[in-house]
Amino acid sequence: MFSIDQLQVHYGLSHIIQGVSLEAAPGEVIGIFGRNGVGKTTLMKAVAGWVGASGGAITLDGQRLDGLTADKVCHHGVGFVPEDRRIFPGLSVEENLKLGLMQRKGRSRAEQNREIELIYERMPRLAERRRQAGTTLSGGEQQMLAMARIMVGQPRLALIDEPSEGLAPMIVADIFAIIKEMKAAGTIILLVEQNVDGALGVADRFYALERGAVVLTGNAKDAVDRARLMDVIAVL
Amino acid sequence: MVDINVVEAKGTARPKRVIDRLGLAMRASHVLVALFVVAALIFAAVGVIQDDRFFLRLGTEALIFAGLALSVDILLGYTGLLSLGQALYFGLGAYVSAVVLKEVPSFWAAMAAALVVALVIGFLAGLIANRVRGVYFALVTFGLAQVAARAVYNTRSLGASDGLIGVPVVPIDLGVITVMSNSPAGFFLFTLGFIVVLYAVCAYLLDTPFGRVLLALRANERRVPSLGYSTRNLRLSAYVLAAVIASLSGALYPMLRGFVSPELLFFTTSGNAVITVVIGGVGTLAGALYGGVILTVLKSVIGSLTEHHLIVIGLLFMATVIFLPKGIMGVVRPLIERMLRGGKR
Repeated sequence: MFSIDQLQVHYGLSHIIQGVSLEAAPGEVIGIFGRNGVGKTTLMKAVAGWVGASGGAITLDGQRLDGLTADKVCHHGVGFVPEDRRIFPGLSVEENLKLGLMQRKGRSRAEQNREIELIYERMPRLAERRRQAGTTLSGGEQQMLAMARIMVGQPRLALIDEPSEGLAPMIVADIFAIIKEMKAAGTIILLVEQNVDGALGVADRFYALERGAVVLTGNAKDAVDRARLMDVIAVL
Repeated sequence: MVDINVVEAKGTARPKRVIDRLGLAMRASHVLVALFVVAALIFAAVGVIQDDRFFLRLGTEALIFAGLALSVDILLGYTGLLSLGQALYFGLGAYVSAVVLKEVPSFWAAMAAALVVALVIGFLAGLIANRVRGVYFALVTFGLAQVAARAVYNTRSLGASDGLIGVPVVPIDLGVITVMSNSPAGFFLFTLGFIVVLYAVCAYLLDTPFGRVLLALRANERRVPSLGYSTRNLRLSAYVLAAVIASLSGALYPMLRGFVSPELLFFTTSGNAVITVVIGGVGTLAGALYGGVILTVLKSVIGSLTEHHLIVIGLLFMATVIFLPKGIMGVVRPLIERMLRGGKR
């Protein structure tokens, strides 16, 4: 079980996240929506330990995550795919992928290799390009690599920020299919996405933010809730 | 380590060799180091035939400073940390080695002491230096070296400003043969072997997952912790490794010269090491070896013609930064890589 309780985040004097609370159960995909600048990415960064919370609590399976450094948060089973994918230049596809293995400690070399092979079976395009520099991949392939990199860590909570940004519709469908697979494996997913229709297709519930606070929650499959969401975020 | 993968070429059963881009670069560095060793062996042979002492000892000094440059390259080339105080460990290794050799004329004891001191001081100084980033890291490392240099300069038991003289000649027992530290050719060859071993250790470590994470750290320090790595520990590990390499190189210095002086800890030593790496090629390891030789030879040759040799070296440094931003290796290594790929771009 994942929960955020009255989270507060400040950037200097700016109060960015103002008392956000949410809950998610294993296998649930939670969509986080809102206009630009309402604090969606900051919320993700706060959960990932990139920015410190100035108040409130973040809990995953009973363990407090707030106040931990990003590497410790990661070791508690949190994988983060940031907005710009952050493929490491100078490293091959496979090396980028293998960097993700440290997210979950205690696995044997054979288990790690098996994990990598599973990713290659699922994403043959990465397998074909395993020796290629990661930054030479197309945008869609880089997004897949970024997702795969957290998948090898088998996270309990995945934070996925704008995965479809700038990608062709066919690739976006692949990305959402991967999110569905992670959901089926029991991973809790917080999904920030501008492609609201696509995100609602994979999400179970959603939260809409406005000025750093939750202004609407709803069921992603409920037509009334979806209509209210569209009103809130003014996407018609 | 070379990473070669064999995959099936499309539409044919014939396997096609695909070589990892990074592995290829490291392999090209190995080839360049092999060429460096061949050139050094020819140089040694000529030196022995001509019964030369001066140039063999100058060559040995160049190799020792190449070891220092190697340590700077680990930090600058692989971790993105500009250390302006690497002379701290070089000088420390030299002083520790000199003190030990004066008490116990044992090569292995001197090297072991230099190793232990580098580990301890490198760890403690690394804790301080790695609290900051960028230019502040450079300034802290500079400050640490200056503090140590001033402390040595004012310590009478370490010879103060005069340094320590009278370091005895030591036999270096390698099992099959024993090399005397005052044998120009013998000590040159030993130093060559020693620096190549240091290169090999660095190349091996930096070609492992540890090295890959360092590269990731250099590329994007923010992203690395979210993959479960502690950037503090990684930076500290690289810093301690560099300290050990610098200290072990410095430990050879009193064996060559028979003395040590506080100048070894001064900024000029650290600055020269950075210049060496930039001239040779940052992040190539092999560049440190070539740069070390070029800088030492230039200093000696130009220094014998004019006392303003630093002006020439300064101009060379500026020209390298402007016209060869990737150093000599930036020009030479791609040619070797192309050769290794069988002429294909």
